[in-house]
Amino acid sequence: MRPLTELFSKLVEKIRGVEYIDEQTLQEISRELQRSLLKADVPLDMVRAFTDTAVRRIREERPPPGIPVKDFVIYVIYQELVKLLGGEAEPDLKLPKRPYVIMLLGVEGSGKTTTAAKIALFYIKRGLKVGVVETDTIRPAAYDQLKQLAERVGARFYGERDGNDAVGIARRGLEQMKGVDLVLVDTAGRHKNEQSLLEEVKAIYDAIKPDEVMLVVDATVGRQAAAQAEAFMKYVPIHSVAITKMDSTARGGGALAAVAKTGARVKFIGVGEGVDEIEPFSPRKFVARVLGM
Amino acid sequence: SIVSTVKEDALGEREVSELAEDLYLDLVESDVAVDVADALISALKAKLVGAKVPRFGDREAAVRRAVYDALLSLVGDVQDADFESAVIEAAEQARPVVVMFLGPNGYGKTTTLAKIAYLFKSRGLQSVLAAADTFRAGAREQLEEHGKRLGLRVIGGKYGSDPASVAYDAVQHARSKGIPLVLIDTAGRMHTDKNLMDELAKIQRVVEPHFSVFVFDAQLGNEALEIARYYSKHVSIDGMVATKVDSYPKGGSILTFLYTFKKPIYFLGVGQRYEDLVKFKKEEYIAQLIGLQPGGR
Ligand SMILES: Nc1nc2c(ncn2[C@@H]2O[C@H](COP(=O)(O)OP(=O)(O)OP(=O)(O)O)[C@@H](O)[C@H]2O)c(=O)[nH]1
Ligand SMILES: Nc1nc2c(ncn2[C@@H]2O[C@H](COP(=O)(O)OP(=O)(O)OP(=O)(O)O)[C@@H](O)[C@H]2O)c(=O)[nH]1
Ligand SMILES: [K+]
Ligand SMILES: [Mg+2]
Ligand SMILES: [Mg+2]
Repeated sequence: MRPLTELFSKLVEKIRGVEYIDEQTLQEISRELQRSLLKADVPLDMVRAFTDTAVRRIREERPPPGIPVKDFVIYVIYQELVKLLGGEAEPDLKLPKRPYVIMLLGVEGSGKTTTAAKIALFYIKRGLKVGVVETDTIRPAAYDQLKQLAERVGARFYGERDGNDAVGIARRGLEQMKGVDLVLVDTAGRHKNEQSLLEEVKAIYDAIKPDEVMLVVDATVGRQAAAQAEAFMKYVPIHSVAITKMDSTARGGGALAAVAKTGARVKFIGVGEGVDEIEPFSPRKFVARVLGM
Repeated sequence: SIVSTVKEDALGEREVSELAEDLYLDLVESDVAVDVADALISALKAKLVGAKVPRFGDREAAVRRAVYDALLSLVGDVQDADFESAVIEAAEQARPVVVMFLGPNGYGKTTTLAKIAYLFKSRGLQSVLAAADTFRAGAREQLEEHGKRLGLRVIGGKYGSDPASVAYDAVQHARSKGIPLVLIDTAGRMHTDKNLMDELAKIQRVVEPHFSVFVFDAQLGNEALEIARYYSKHVSIDGMVATKVDSYPKGGSILTFLYTFKKPIYFLGVGQRYEDLVKFKKEEYIAQLIGLQPGGR
């Protein structure tokens, strides 16, 4: 995949020595940019909004002295994308209270259970006591999966092997976590057309009132990422996001749209299957990736 | 709408261009990979110029039908395959028939395997399930639970053991017991991980599956194309299953994979229960993708 800077270098060649960028060049820039963002899975309406803003700003504003036009174009787009992520600041990963309860939510196979273990390890390494609770009664052996992971990372575990009452498990799980600093409540996967599962997650939420609901988004998913987020928000609030499978080559525009839709901050990204393959989110790095740089 | 600009009886070049631009955006917005949409649209343009559409009456439907025919013919070399019959036929020649499931992480391999075991069991064909995902936490227990529910034998190995030898053991077991089918579950692996891709190729060398089934999530975006490129470089694939189609029936990644792998899609996964597996029909899918009523031709 050609990086965006390279795409632009061609255009910049063309306009070298020209006092201003003519309309045709601007149109070309806009087309290349649109294509690049579409390839990154950014939804069309967002792509249009960005390019319109960028083109308008390039037409109206002058690049700051010493900044080449190509960089200015990218910078404008960059700024607009960063805005959607809630700014350039790195996420705040401090826990505001003890115990702090995070419930994970997401589509089937997005990486919730793995991410729960990764976040547990992240905080265990920082000296905290962490517990994990498995409320997934749908996927066979979800219990074993999280239990094994909890053993691996040294987190306390609660689950009920053959249980079928997710709400009860969540409630009992929290009761078992006295003295723990952070509790991660894993939930079964569910999607926007699974009405009864959406109601179930709302029931879990109402029963345990977690301090934070974290949406887990698979970076390789396209436009559905935002559609799913939108559906979930009708049932529970979404406070934060984890983006998984960033060890793929996916550029993350689908996840970006999901973040924009929820207005939540991204906290972590998953970069592999291993329990230590998690990184605090960097808005700059992420936007650069969406832009193909 | 893709037809607002159509004014003449035979589609002219200019209006086909406009039509194509709209269709391109429709496809991309439905998650068909951009490069695939490009290729499809330029081929489509050639086919559509001169296509006849009525001046009056249901013009929109007629244009859609022309687009439908053109699009269908572009993936025409990929035949819909009857996996069930193919396996039953193969079972008359060779026992056991070996089917291996592969694909990136979390897209639905294990669930799909269990659905297929259920399907064949209801047709009177027993399977041995091979837990050759010796890597992911809970992978073996997940397959064992399916085996328990379906009343089928699961052959597994310790976590960390060689998946190829687990697969081999399962084939041996089926052979010695006269069980007609072996279904091999493998660990999810990201296409960018060369070692894991090599491991997959090794399993294929060792057990020489009759069918290697690639499993993907219908919700994938442009990454589908990258996945297809990497996977086809490293492993052989006979057919595919798209999962989570209950969440996204239009899923453009289905077209991306059809167009790049040029292999049949055996089934669609449409839910989390064993029965939630339906045969894929290219015609129905394309009709859905472009908003034509299925069967409304
Ligand atoms: N390569 C890679 N794989 C990941 C990452 N995060 C999770 N996975 C894998 O993705 C697959 C699905 O992860 P799970 O944690 O089981 O997903 P889940 O959301 O809990 O799935 P359900 O409970 O079935 O909805 C597993 O194979 C994980 O190892 C990641 O960042 N990179
Ligand atoms: N709604 C729906 N969920 C599905 C479908 N197929 C699989 N799933 C769910 O997707 C999740 C992941 O499925 P798995 O079968 O474990 O996926 P996998 O590819 O084996 O995952 P790894 O082994 O971790 O790579 C589970 O929660 C399944 O129930 C489907 O067609 N529809
Ligand atoms: K793996
Ligand atoms: Mg899970
Ligand atoms: Mg699996």
